[in-house]
Amino acid sequence: MTTGLAAAGAAAAPGILAAQTRPPASRTLRVVLAGDLATYDPIWTTANITAYHGAMVYDTLFGIDDKLNPQPQMVNKYSASEDQLTWTFELRDGLKFSDGTPVTAKDCVASIKRWAVRSGTGQLMLQRLKDVTASNDKTFVVALKEKFPLLIDGFSSPATPVLFIMREKEAMTDPMQKIDTIIGSGPFVMNMAETKAGSQYVYDKSATYVPRPEPASGSTGGKIVKVDRVIFQNMPDSQTAVAALQAGEIDFYEIPPIDLLDQLDTDPGVKLINLTDLGTVGYIGLNWLHPPFNNLKLRQSLLYIVNQEEMMKPTFVDKKWYQGCGSWFTCGSPMENDANTDWFKGGQNLAKAKELMKEGGYDGKPVVVLQATNIPYMMNAATVFAQQLRTAGYNVSLQPMDWANVVQRRSNKAPPDQGGWNVFFTSSGGLSNANPYMIGGMATTGDKGWFGWPTDAKNEELRTKWINAATLADRQAAARDIQQNAWDIVPHMYYGKWSQPAAHRKNVTGWLKVPELVVFWNVAKA
Amino acid sequence: MPGAVESMTGTILRRLASMLPVMFIVAICVFLLLHLAPGDPASIIAGENVSPENIARIRAQLGLDQPIWKQFLVWIGALIRGDLGSSMFWGDPVASLIAQRAEPTVSLAFTTLLVAVALAIAMGVLAAARVGSWVDRLVMGFAVLGFSVPVFVVGYMLIFIFAINLKWLPVQGYTPIAEGVLPWLRNLVLPSIALGMAYVALIARITRTTMLDVLAEDYMRTARAKGVATRKMLFRHALKNAAVPIATVVGNGVALLIGGVVITETVFNIPGIGRLVVDAIARRDYPIIQGVIMVFSGVYVLVNLLVDLSYTFFDPRVRG
Repeated sequence: MTTGLAAAGAAAAPGILAAQTRPPASRTLRVVLAGDLATYDPIWTTANITAYHGAMVYDTLFGIDDKLNPQPQMVNKYSASEDQLTWTFELRDGLKFSDGTPVTAKDCVASIKRWAVRSGTGQLMLQRLKDVTASNDKTFVVALKEKFPLLIDGFSSPATPVLFIMREKEAMTDPMQKIDTIIGSGPFVMNMAETKAGSQYVYDKSATYVPRPEPASGSTGGKIVKVDRVIFQNMPDSQTAVAALQAGEIDFYEIPPIDLLDQLDTDPGVKLINLTDLGTVGYIGLNWLHPPFNNLKLRQSLLYIVNQEEMMKPTFVDKKWYQGCGSWFTCGSPMENDANTDWFKGGQNLAKAKELMKEGGYDGKPVVVLQATNIPYMMNAATVFAQQLRTAGYNVSLQPMDWANVVQRRSNKAPPDQGGWNVFFTSSGGLSNANPYMIGGMATTGDKGWFGWPTDAKNEELRTKWINAATLADRQAAARDIQQNAWDIVPHMYYGKWSQPAAHRKNVTGWLKVPELVVFWNVAKA
Repeated sequence: MPGAVESMTGTILRRLASMLPVMFIVAICVFLLLHLAPGDPASIIAGENVSPENIARIRAQLGLDQPIWKQFLVWIGALIRGDLGSSMFWGDPVASLIAQRAEPTVSLAFTTLLVAVALAIAMGVLAAARVGSWVDRLVMGFAVLGFSVPVFVVGYMLIFIFAINLKWLPVQGYTPIAEGVLPWLRNLVLPSIALGMAYVALIARITRTTMLDVLAEDYMRTARAKGVATRKMLFRHALKNAAVPIATVVGNGVALLIGGVVITETVFNIPGIGRLVVDAIARRDYPIIQGVIMVFSGVYVLVNLLVDLSYTFFDPRVRG
């Protein structure tokens, strides 16, 4: 009997010990995010959720404030030579990795090189880069062959992949291979002992992090951690997550289903919050390689068929959560404009669409639409889109599948009747879509480009003009030109813009708005 | 008697050996079905804003650009050495991920089985003893309902009533038994009821039917005529003779349980093996899916073996 009790006690000891050393509930944030953290390397993958993890563990050279302006973060001061070809950055004092080693310029150099391979802006920098070198422990220099006005924007962008600073040892890893050790210099440290992959990811307040003195704003300023622990809980069932939030078992739910928002809104313990004004943009990819959308007139016909309102309403129900947007760049962003948007202002015009279909010589070939049924907003948009096409006279083959299948299928360049496709649906962050370089879908580089493979030299010239624009006004003018051309050639389309509200317990305050990221510093629990 | 023990040992060894070809066929089917089905883990890993070239490089890093037969040989070779591989995403060994998730799943299955078998057999025996009465109709009505209502509907109803409204029990989650039996049980009550409904219905129905057959036998009539007490007659004589089909259904129901565990773990957010495999399927994490299916298949084959062996306990004629 005594032996049995001793054995049971010994078996239970680690669990009991772990339970005893856990911070109290009042100092622990339990949060449910949009999905599971499938991998820990925020450069290897560009999945948003891994960028959230990255923002916990790693720090960044720059961030953006709540007005979207870049501000130094790990950097103390920086300067550019008169010809703008040599940029010198000095790190601030007190930066340390969670293993206690100081952050050095060498770590930054290796991190920049690894990030640049995966980032759209980083690749542009690489084309113009002469070298990036460490001058001493605290200073590094970016030497360019030609001017690159987007350098600081790239370093500060919260759109994935974010330039997180890793130890040189990890940052030297091939960007196509994942790192195995998670050690950063950010405000949190990943607690691997308490983390259970696929179930919960545990982050403890870093003992070595020294916040900046300025107040927190966007992803910049003092990243002051006001709780002891944050736990990312993977909870795939939205109904359960809503119930858990109402019962106080979790503190934050990033994507409560729109149809349950009323239920949450009337709960006295819960508050809804919009964490990003730029929201998310729905993207309709068109295949330029095969009929019918290799034909300009038929692509143009889509402008008069697509009704964004109808495509968004089944998912987002109330207009306060979604809006139609005729701009090529995210509505609400500095690049939004109304060039060449008569088609949008005029609304759906099936007579005009049919005229263009006739001019384009549409021969009744089926339009293969890939429909991701496990992502509700894409599924609903695709269903409505297919019906809109049918109403206009297109023959549509709507092909339901899961997202994993869509991402494989859309890379297939074969004709639609041989495993290829004509249309697919995806989405991108509002910040990324406000920039002609941040997402691959903005390029028109043909075979080398993103899925859909549009080709247009003029768009490429205009994108280069946008990069080289010296001022915001010049950039906005270039954006207008890009849009003017884009709606003539229709490389892809949009199905609207939405702002997914998050929900949190009322006793949790201090949320910061950062486009495309959810951050947990500055958040306090009463 | 020593001869009988040897014969039993020989039977067990033969049955264990016969598991090997079964598991090998399962391995081939699992691998082929997964790899021939559409979906690309490299594209999922890469995320949205990635060029096709970079996706191809990630695919090569993961070895997914190799011919399928080569990938199979690598996997089966490791499997024979007892290595289930590592997750393509987290990099954790599949065996350790399964081990981490085993406790919640085994706990859920155990409490469900315990409650379901005890409840279902009592209900089945009672219904058979009072055949045609309102008790019988009530039990049969429950059986139809329990088998027809999906696990997730029962789950959400239980959450709504007992967790949200009455606040008696938690909505979701799992507490390891090492942190206390009571917290462990609190997290398992609702999921066990939700998962056990269909199981109770299935076992109660088969118990009632077999008990009715046994109760109609001559020896039961004789027992009644000799004045044996009803309770003793039902549980000592009739139930033992009805046990073989009941044990078969309990065993076969493990497949039902495995299927139900996947949904129950999702609804109640229990970090078990079911959830592990559902998430892995969504992102095509092949090593995890393959590993879990192999483990589930092994468990299923073993349970069937145990059920077969239990016949010798319940029915001496099988022993002979």
